[in-house]
Amino acid sequence: MPRRSSLPVTFVVPTLIILLILSMVPTVYAVVIALQNRELSSTAYSYVWFSNFVDLFFDRRFLNAVWVSVKWEVVTVVATMAVAIGLGVLMFEVASPRLRNIYCLLFIIPVLLPRVSAAFVWKFAYHPLYGIATYPYRLLTGGLIFDPLSKPATALFAVASVDVWQWGLFFAVIVLKLLETLPPQPIEAARLDHARRWQIHAYVTLPMLKAPLISLMFVKMIESLRSFDLIYVMTRGGPGVATETLDMYAFSQGFIESGKVSYASAMAVLMMIATVITFTMLWKRVQA
Amino acid sequence: MKPVRLAASLGAAFMLSATVSTIALAQAPVCSAPVKVLAQPRDGLTLLEDSKDEFQKLSGASFQIDYLNENDRRAKSRADASTVGNYNVYYVDEANVALFASSKWIVPLTDYYPADYDYADFDPGRQKVATYDGKAWFAPLTGGGDLMVYRKDILEAAGIQPPKTLDELIADVPKLTNPDKGVYGIALRGARGSGANVWRWMPFFKAYGGQWFDGDKPAFNSDAAVKATETYLKLFKDSAPGTQTGSWDESTGAFLSGQVAILVESTPLSGMAVDPKTSQVVGKIGFLPPPAPLTGGGYGHGLAIAAKANADDASKKCAGLFIAWATSKENEKRRLDAHQFGELNRTSILSSKEFAGIYGADLGQALAETGKVTAVNFWQDPRWPDLGDRWGIILEELVTGTRTDIKGGLTELETYANELVKK
Repeated sequence: MPRRSSLPVTFVVPTLIILLILSMVPTVYAVVIALQNRELSSTAYSYVWFSNFVDLFFDRRFLNAVWVSVKWEVVTVVATMAVAIGLGVLMFEVASPRLRNIYCLLFIIPVLLPRVSAAFVWKFAYHPLYGIATYPYRLLTGGLIFDPLSKPATALFAVASVDVWQWGLFFAVIVLKLLETLPPQPIEAARLDHARRWQIHAYVTLPMLKAPLISLMFVKMIESLRSFDLIYVMTRGGPGVATETLDMYAFSQGFIESGKVSYASAMAVLMMIATVITFTMLWKRVQA
Repeated sequence: MKPVRLAASLGAAFMLSATVSTIALAQAPVCSAPVKVLAQPRDGLTLLEDSKDEFQKLSGASFQIDYLNENDRRAKSRADASTVGNYNVYYVDEANVALFASSKWIVPLTDYYPADYDYADFDPGRQKVATYDGKAWFAPLTGGGDLMVYRKDILEAAGIQPPKTLDELIADVPKLTNPDKGVYGIALRGARGSGANVWRWMPFFKAYGGQWFDGDKPAFNSDAAVKATETYLKLFKDSAPGTQTGSWDESTGAFLSGQVAILVESTPLSGMAVDPKTSQVVGKIGFLPPPAPLTGGGYGHGLAIAAKANADDASKKCAGLFIAWATSKENEKRRLDAHQFGELNRTSILSSKEFAGIYGADLGQALAETGKVTAVNFWQDPRWPDLGDRWGIILEELVTGTRTDIKGGLTELETYANELVKK
């Protein structure tokens, strides 16, 4: 019987310990702070236990932020996946291999832009008087003003469109590459059965790509949770609190407005718990 | 060697070494490491960076300025000062000087401000804003009050005299709005923040007799606040597009590009408006104090010595020297020569012939007049940014229509103010 080597343990254990420290120390610290009443302007603090968590449920801005975060998550994930699948299939169907390469190059550029740069570019594009994105509206209505970032009904969608512009196009490239890797036989068989193009994709190719598409969706869901920079630059959570997501509100409470770091930490802890539960449930459902 | 000669030699050697040490001490650089400054973009600071060699020669070290826009600068400096303390010098303003001083995040400036640089030469109003608890905490980089800047050509074409009262302003603004020609009666600030929308709203609040607190009791939930907010929202109907969620940049940008007839804004606007490099309305504008009874929002921004990053006295002296040099008469003269109106703070410069020669008598007179109505409109308390920012969010909601109940918003703010006072 071969002797067991301790070499794998020697290599793996230190790395695991480092990873554990890196991930657990800030998490535990955040939980501890959330149970206190720390503020930036004072070194004095005491334990208030669950008081911050209780206060959150009576805070209208927190409840609004939860709702905005849910809307943001749904809008950006659904729109990104729709754009990615739509454009990916379209490129697969109508573009020549050479043209596909050009499209791929163009579609990757937005995601290479730093989020803050993209946010600034689009903030100017949405300017009611000079913006290129609002120009068609001015042209069609004879100069009427449309300010999408200052209207509560449109602000979230205007910011979400930038997120979709970056990630939807990038995912379209991935979807195209996935389609290109599929074996041609099932598609040819469907064609021989006189299936239409949309039927081929709806019933053959996309079901074959179910697993990678679900993975892409999970990646986007996690990415959408980290939308702080985009929203911060474009609207700062406004107009009013129309685009104030949980991370935006937590930062606001911790560093912009009142310096209530414990209160902000309580929000972060709740966000973490909600995210872990939601993702675990979704993952299990998908696996079933 | 004879004892006398030996003693004389030793004495001479001692004298020589003492002299050399004294010279070395006299020439010892004040700074041992580059001064790190956290600021918001200012033309004056950009100009200052051209003279880095001069400061290096003076102090023995250079400096590095990191720029963030106003709200980000406030958030970052607050986080830095209360935690790691990376910066030697903070850019502070009237809204957060009380918080920084009472939290001991900055140290009294005049303890480390070399006397040769003449702190008393700064405009007395700006010195007042820089003072908290009887001590001066920052050296001004900018400051002043409000001015009404108006387009003579647009008002003449409409047959309207420049408004001298608030009632006249309210009546004139809708008449001056003509979207077909791309002209709007006024530009206000809608973006949240104690230094943004609340700053522009406060003159209305004060004009209607409002006050923030009566002792420890919140007094702002009053008819004055309701009337001020109603007036602000009414005027916003004629405010230039983009200002509903914009602040200083958006409202002044709209005026300077020729879209606005009347603008009541902080005094640096007037310098920008007469500068062809920044303004498309040069030669078409007039200046007056804000329509009565609007008070001008007295303000001041400047540089303060950080407490945490300057742990020892030598570091504090170095930061003090940097601030003194940056705000010196010589550097302010350079800013005057570069026509940086908003960056001038010293009475010796503001009353100079060169200043009058560049900006003319009209502006000088308007500045003198507006000085009489300039007031501190905000609550001078470390908790002001917290309260002001909270009202800023509610006001932004009202401006953009996500809420409509003014009284409800004020009551919500009052509840919050009571919690703040209890702490």
